Amino acid sequence: MNTIKVTINNTSYDVPANASILEVCKQVGVEILTMCHLKGITDIGACRLCLVEVEGVNKLLPSCTTKVVPNMIIYTETEKLKRYQRITTELFFAERNHMCAVCVANGQCELQELGYKVGLDAIRYPHLFPQCEVDTSHPWYVIDHNRCIMCTRCVRVCNEVEGAHNWDVMGRGHQVRIISDFNTPWGESITCTSCGKCLHACPTGAIWPKAIVQGQLNKNPGMITELVEKRCMKL
Amino acid sequence: MDKRKIFISPVTRIEGHANITLELDENGNVSDALFHVNEFRGFEKFCEGRMYTEMPTITPRICGICPTSHTLASVKACEMIQGIQPTYTANLLRRLMHIGQNLSSHALSFFHLSAPDFLLGYDGDPVKRNILGIAEKYPDIALRGIRLRKFGQELSERITGKKIHIMGIVPGGMAYALTEDNRKALLEWIPEATETVQKAIEIIKRFHEEHADMVNSFAPSPTLYLGTVGPNGEHELYDGKLRFIDADGTILQDQLAPSEYLNYIAERSVEWSYLKYPYYKPLGFEKGFYRVGPLARLNVASRMKTPLAQKEFENFKSMSGGKPVHGAFFYHYTRLIEALSDVEDAARILQDPMVTSTRIQHHGRWNYEEGIGSSEAPRGTLFHHYKTDETGKLLNVNLLIATGQNNPSMNRSVLEVAQQYVKGGDVKEGMLNRVESTIRCYDPCLSCSTHALGQMPMLIRFVDKSGTLVKELQRG
Repeated sequence: MNTIKVTINNTSYDVPANASILEVCKQVGVEILTMCHLKGITDIGACRLCLVEVEGVNKLLPSCTTKVVPNMIIYTETEKLKRYQRITTELFFAERNHMCAVCVANGQCELQELGYKVGLDAIRYPHLFPQCEVDTSHPWYVIDHNRCIMCTRCVRVCNEVEGAHNWDVMGRGHQVRIISDFNTPWGESITCTSCGKCLHACPTGAIWPKAIVQGQLNKNPGMITELVEKRCMKL
Repeated sequence: MDKRKIFISPVTRIEGHANITLELDENGNVSDALFHVNEFRGFEKFCEGRMYTEMPTITPRICGICPTSHTLASVKACEMIQGIQPTYTANLLRRLMHIGQNLSSHALSFFHLSAPDFLLGYDGDPVKRNILGIAEKYPDIALRGIRLRKFGQELSERITGKKIHIMGIVPGGMAYALTEDNRKALLEWIPEATETVQKAIEIIKRFHEEHADMVNSFAPSPTLYLGTVGPNGEHELYDGKLRFIDADGTILQDQLAPSEYLNYIAERSVEWSYLKYPYYKPLGFEKGFYRVGPLARLNVASRMKTPLAQKEFENFKSMSGGKPVHGAFFYHYTRLIEALSDVEDAARILQDPMVTSTRIQHHGRWNYEEGIGSSEAPRGTLFHHYKTDETGKLLNVNLLIATGQNNPSMNRSVLEVAQQYVKGGDVKEGMLNRVESTIRCYDPCLSCSTHALGQMPMLIRFVDKSGTLVKELQRG
């Protein structure tokens, strides 16, 4: 394996060439906040939480979609980055209707965990309070657009891992929505295989099984990673 | 002299926010009284469109005092939609948690909110007439009250990990089991809790003896009563059938399934309050006003389930020769009899060998479009009624809250007490405290979220018919 030398937060490392900054940071034990990243599916740099500073580059770069190059000097913990992470997190909460206390994912939610990590004690932006649909038409699962943060992990896992491509994205800006097939109720989808992978990929309480209530949700996004790795190994 | 009004705003040492308007005639005597609840929560509306299975999580947020009652009424409605029943152990655990909440609420009502009147006097210094004043003068009583609440909350915490807004009561049973260590730890509380409740009963009985005139004449209007009873008419809080009695104690309806409530209860709105006026349908508005809560539950019950509480129950029944006791003041005594029953019942359940079983949940899914559940909240019978579409999405939510059912009687009681104590336009702070304490008898939970400890300022304004301020008295 080809290795190259990079510097992360003033420490030098030998890391695999052709890897993303996020991958090498994880490898050497440097924590980077993520939301739309899920190991095993394609990274798209949508959430902007994993931004890093790279010396000589005049803008912040998403670490999940930026490859390391030799002698790259990377910073992951600057005040500027912390400020942006906090802003991004606040915007997640302000855009839709996130009520942790009554959410089925309370205690099992990556967005909630992120809020704790960035020290979210107030949201400085006006909440949009959009009227979002709760689609209960599927016999086993629910998708609540109030809790969706448009990470599109469900879209990618459905397309890349299950191969069904039930989920996709419709609309622009803050009116963007996850849709099933050509915007039909989930229960009427002709592509959904009801495999439940989107449920495990979803970082919040936006997709959950009908049969459970708060305290019983058991999401396992690592299962998707494991599945992909086993397929690559042709086990 | 012009017709004048007195506004008591806010009413203190209750849960939630309310105002009272007293209308005075030309002689300065009370001609009418209006009890206003001026908050709007909107739960029934914004729950529409959610999955019915979310209701046991959303509805406990209505109230920080009785979240378990809301959860129980809600899961029962969900279980009716699914057509399933909880396991035996889940029922035991739910009962324990419900007992814990009832104890905690009754302890709050007695020790924190009402005992200042009994121990420091209705005319005592308003600055000290609160739990802190009790802690200063009677530290043992204050500590016992606080610890009784702690025990109540531990009953939930040791099962689900949370004291308030509990999780884990789910359709079909429970999500968490009780461990043996936690069972033993809870059992250790029983002797102290029993002793505390008995001491509280001594205090209220002493007050009855020393102030018999006031106690017996305090808002004694007869009404109907509604409460939940077991199969043999025994006192019941968690699961049973409904019983209506009239003012003479005659049973009007017995062993009614809670799902039949709409056949017997109707509601009407009034223009001065966000709280609706429910009434017993067969007798119509006004004649059909009924009360719920501890006084109602003991009035409708034929017996208590536990020995010490049964002894007090017999004493309570003897006060009116076996007929219903109507005086609003007796809410305090009945609340304590229930607390005694709670502690005894908790001890019984904790000694049941099945209480630590891990068979805690039956599983179901949507089967029926409608579900109705009820439970006895500390303040009275509570109904949750959900209608869904065929996917389980809520189309309609009706929540009939205990305090709402006492609303007509609270209004009437305020008028009675105001007429008794406000005379000739001479308004003293102690008088206003008596009018407020009428509301405190019912221990209403108006917003079910806030607490006042007698620290809030009370403003009394005398205005003439044109709204011009004639006189102003301020406290706090």
